[in-house]
Amino acid sequence: MNIIEPLTHIFRAVFDDEDITLTREMNADDIDGWDSFAHLNLLMSIEEFFEITISDEEAPGLRNVGDLMDIIKLKT
Amino acid sequence: MLVQNNQYNIGHICTKQQCDNGLGQKIAFRWLPAKGEPSSISFAELDVQSNKFANILCSLGFTTGDILFTFLPKCPEQFFSFLGTLKNQTICGTLFSNFGDEALLDRLGDSRAKGLVTKKSSLKKIGRIREQLPHLKYILVTDIDAHQSADILSYSALMAEASAEFTTAVTAPETPSVLHYTSGSTGKPKGVLHKHGSVLMQSATAREVLQLGLDDIYWCTADQGWVTGTSYGIIGPWSLGVTQVHYGGIYDASRWFELLEKEKVTIWYSAPTALRMLMREANALFANYDLSALKHIFSVGEPLNPEVIQWSRAVLNREIYDTWFQTETGAIMITNRPDLEVRTGSMGQPVAMIEPAILSDDGIPVADGEQGNLCLKSNWSSMFVSYLNNDTVYQQKFIKGYYFTGDTAVKDRDGYYWFKGRNDDVINTGGHLVSPIEIESALLELEQVAESGVIGAPDALLFEKVVVFVHLHSGHEPSKELEIKLRLHISNKVSSIATPREVFFVEKVPKNKSGKIMRRVLKARYLGHDEGDTSTLED
Repeated sequence: MNIIEPLTHIFRAVFDDEDITLTREMNADDIDGWDSFAHLNLLMSIEEFFEITISDEEAPGLRNVGDLMDIIKLKT
Repeated sequence: MLVQNNQYNIGHICTKQQCDNGLGQKIAFRWLPAKGEPSSISFAELDVQSNKFANILCSLGFTTGDILFTFLPKCPEQFFSFLGTLKNQTICGTLFSNFGDEALLDRLGDSRAKGLVTKKSSLKKIGRIREQLPHLKYILVTDIDAHQSADILSYSALMAEASAEFTTAVTAPETPSVLHYTSGSTGKPKGVLHKHGSVLMQSATAREVLQLGLDDIYWCTADQGWVTGTSYGIIGPWSLGVTQVHYGGIYDASRWFELLEKEKVTIWYSAPTALRMLMREANALFANYDLSALKHIFSVGEPLNPEVIQWSRAVLNREIYDTWFQTETGAIMITNRPDLEVRTGSMGQPVAMIEPAILSDDGIPVADGEQGNLCLKSNWSSMFVSYLNNDTVYQQKFIKGYYFTGDTAVKDRDGYYWFKGRNDDVINTGGHLVSPIEIESALLELEQVAESGVIGAPDALLFEKVVVFVHLHSGHEPSKELEIKLRLHISNKVSSIATPREVFFVEKVPKNKSGKIMRRVLKARYLGHDEGDTSTLED
């Protein structure tokens, strides 16, 4: 499954920035506005698009794009 | 002596005066970027960089009374431009770097700001509202190497050419200084204007409450977009020549504690939401760090619940002292502090020269133990001087010589104050005030939304969370996809902190016969409480 393309679309919508290009290593230090509120928006958008559920226990461990890609791959 | 030769200028006091006092080579701040190597900036360098910025403003024609905003994440340029602006006697406003288009437009538009310092990544956001900001003449961008146009200028190019010498004009205490916008439950955000004389109170409370002295290493986690970030992340500590630590990353328990240990922080000022997040971490994490340098922890932004204080005593072996102030007060007014017995859950007692009172709505004192309006006898030195362009509302805040804070509280017989709540609909989420009106207005921009009502509801982490009730136009159905769309719209138009934690789709939003949204009723319904008098509800 192609994850990076829809994930990029989600990131661009959440952070209102059409120029975002994702890499696995990117984290909150690399994207302006990636705070805890935006992180929640990100997870909700991922859950909705990929039709998966991310638990409260799993959420804190998702610290960069690679972590997000891995959990999406695992659950889809 | 804080004020020398009648010079009240905050920019001067925080930089040149420290150099004159022999602290030029002392570290003013350790800069710890989210990524990259830490660096140290001395008071001499802080003076030079802020001088350069003051010269830039001078050359661009900024004068006393003009307004420049910073719209930056935490970074050294934030401090240089803030202090340089004040040296030039230009008013400096600061904007939270996650504000969305509407929030920016409201603030830049109302203030008629002439200049903005920001990052390249924010230019698109600014570009979308620029046409509606005819007074905005210059945008200085910190991370472009060359000027983009006649009005979008490279900060670094300007700084490279600016003189390092600047003589700050003797500044009277009444001269306007810092501008912060604060949310209200009605109307647009209000511009809270302060004066250079506020430094007296900010410096005194940094010394007497936060206990800052020349040997301290101090870390204030607040963003400079809020009053704590300017009053106690810039002015208070640097007016005393104290070394600060500024960290460019977001919340991360391990990194925070690594910072406390490595930088040997002695005084730490943070917020209850952050402390509650730390409380959720495994206790074992904290045992890995040597916090022997840390003397005191202070907190501000929302009431500090007793569980956090007890957790800190047990796990960190430290007391946390809760402090209380507002954007309008400019400095700490009521506080817990090391020389005062902490009564968990209380606001503490007033600082020197501050006279609070618990008054009825018409300004009559209520008895000890009774709830009333928390008020402050007016004319303390850091009292705001106006709501910009809104003198009527400013005057309404004062009754019989007392400033009505909008908070309700109780004073006990021993002189401790206990916060009870707000007497308006403003939401305090994560230590930040959010206006329901701003969120409701943003939602109305979406074609699906017919009307909405927004409330703050109790939350274990955030103190209050934003809860949204939405009535859709016919032809639109509730869905998870639409809920996400609403959330992102609020986040991008207002601010990430305004993002609702819960969204409810409802058949109707309760309003009174004049069409006013009855948030009180929405809140009662949400909490399962009695709705009270509903006789004024429309049919």
